[in-house]
Amino acid sequence: MIFNEIYSMLAYYLPPKANLIASALATFVLILIVLIATPIILGWVDRKFSARIQSRYGPIYVGKFGLLQNFADVIKLMGKNFVTNQYVDRFSYNLIPILSSALSFLLIALLPFGAPSLTFISLPYNLLFIYILLAFSPLLIIIASWGENNKFAVLGGFRSAAQITTYELALIVTFISIGMVNGSYDIINVIASQSLIWNIIYLPLTAVVFFIGSIAVIERAPFDLPESSQELQAGWRIEYSGLKYGLFMIGDYVKLLAVSILFVSLFLGGWSGAFLPGIIWFWIKTVVALMFLMSLRWSLGRPRIDQLLSIGWKWLLPLSVINLIIVEVMMLI
Amino acid sequence: MEGRGIELNIGPVHPATHGVLKLVADIEGDTVKNAKVEIGFLHRGKEKIAELRYFNSYFPIVDKLDYVGALNWEILWASTVEKAMNLEINDRVKYIRAVMAEIQRIMSHLVYIGSFGQDLGNLTFFIWALRERELLMDIVEEISGGRLAPMYNRVGGVFYDFTDGIADKINTALSKIEEKVKKEYRAMTYENSLFIMRSKGIGIMGQKVIKENGVTGPNMRASGIKRDLRKDEPYLVYDKVDFEIITENDSDVYARFMVRVREILESIKIIRQLLKDMPKGDAKISAPWIMKVPAGYTLVRHEMSKGEGAMFLVTDGGLKPYRLKIRSPSFYSLQALPLVLEGCKVADAFVITASMDPVMGEVDR
Repeated sequence: MIFNEIYSMLAYYLPPKANLIASALATFVLILIVLIATPIILGWVDRKFSARIQSRYGPIYVGKFGLLQNFADVIKLMGKNFVTNQYVDRFSYNLIPILSSALSFLLIALLPFGAPSLTFISLPYNLLFIYILLAFSPLLIIIASWGENNKFAVLGGFRSAAQITTYELALIVTFISIGMVNGSYDIINVIASQSLIWNIIYLPLTAVVFFIGSIAVIERAPFDLPESSQELQAGWRIEYSGLKYGLFMIGDYVKLLAVSILFVSLFLGGWSGAFLPGIIWFWIKTVVALMFLMSLRWSLGRPRIDQLLSIGWKWLLPLSVINLIIVEVMMLI
Repeated sequence: MEGRGIELNIGPVHPATHGVLKLVADIEGDTVKNAKVEIGFLHRGKEKIAELRYFNSYFPIVDKLDYVGALNWEILWASTVEKAMNLEINDRVKYIRAVMAEIQRIMSHLVYIGSFGQDLGNLTFFIWALRERELLMDIVEEISGGRLAPMYNRVGGVFYDFTDGIADKINTALSKIEEKVKKEYRAMTYENSLFIMRSKGIGIMGQKVIKENGVTGPNMRASGIKRDLRKDEPYLVYDKVDFEIITENDSDVYARFMVRVREILESIKIIRQLLKDMPKGDAKISAPWIMKVPAGYTLVRHEMSKGEGAMFLVTDGGLKPYRLKIRSPSFYSLQALPLVLEGCKVADAFVITASMDPVMGEVDR
């Protein structure tokens, strides 16, 4: 854990009580930096990358290569008025953006950042806890869409609930397979046990299922049906504006990073690799996974909701179950 | 509204309705039970304005009918007045007009397939299509000085002759577009399995619906009806060029998309032939700016990018039209829309609407 690292580093200079406070503060500042910088920088990468795909320049005016553009946008978002429709249910309307982004931040705090000690929270069964966090989001979305009192929002909310519930089933089966192959539900142990052979070689089907399922669960395009801006305008986010909408956006980018880190840790061996230090390997793999996720958004259209559900039920769930059975048989032998 | 469904008001301010179209859909679950089309949000009384203006002063208004296919309408208005006056125009002008009409047709179809991609959730494709359209926009700008509303034609001719070396520029732009349509667009749309999954088999518009509602143009040809005014009643110089009428037989959204894609390639073929055969000489204008048109009734039909456009002009021998009736193809496509929308999924409703290619400036007039 990062806290322990800082504590042991400062132990030479400070008495224990002062050290406790100082390292807690330092961890807090680090968390803040990660939480604020990640979505902003990821947002810049996304904008620039999509711009190059679409033969545009993207942000160029604010800062070198437009690097400061997203900081400017966040400041602008904070200065905006809160426009609230008079018919919304204020309690759920105001609560959901905070809860939803808090969930995303909790998700990323559970993940390792390139080395066993670089985690903010370490739990023995953190893979299962991550699953719980992912499974929690349709509930929030339904509450938000119902509280908004808008037809488009309700349509988007139900779509979202159907989609996430479908794909979570496939996702839990992939987690179970990983737990069985690696003998642990702790991400750090999972990474340690694939130092020789990556999980993607044992579980190719599961890797595909996890990849597709995780895009659907975080509602990233091309599976962003609940908030499809062309049909439902913004789906369940239709009434949100200003910083509340910004919180959703920040949560989205954090989730995107979380999913790529998760994919790298579960299937691509995390920080295992030759020649280079582990942390560099980890971030190379994460950036590649991230870029792949982003390029999907800008090159594919979205399927229809019934098509999406039938992909989930008819293909992904059976595939992951088949892979689970294969793994079980292999372990028996 | 009875039953368990909800009534969804889509538009007139909605990012996917292509202008100020309003759809009122009764939805049950995720299925559209029935839909109504409400139009008239962009009504500007263009037919009435015609009665107040000199014949040549009406061109700027014509430009705003179909704002992605302005030159087509300009040529139609010019031809209508010329026919009413029994005015013979220069051969070179005919060629120039045909080239401009085909360029405009390509531009209009590019907007169509781009916005169609956007309705499927693929913003990249929209921007790519606009990027290709920009090549032709530059050419129109160089020739006429305008981009979206060029105001290039006038009764008896065109304002400016082609600039020097424009033929080479057009050819370069066309070969670029041809390459993009054949390679990038293929990968992105018409051979992309996700695209096919979304567009095949939905929004089927049978020949009966088409004939009852007077749907024309690419929407009609996508249902296997072989009819194109450029071939059936050749105007300008279309009888001198060699091209095919593009038809598809599936009559679904995918077929309507494919007709447009193939028509772009066909238009490129036409422009190349026209540029090769273009007669030398100057494009003289053979009528004064303000003139009297003999009394009578005139009907002229042209093949627009969206279907058959027609103008029925009544003149009383004065300086201004007595009455003008415009037949806009999008209007008739929209009349068929509720029939096609019945029973489709909500997500498909937007795709089907986009596949009809409505331009509200032309529908509301």
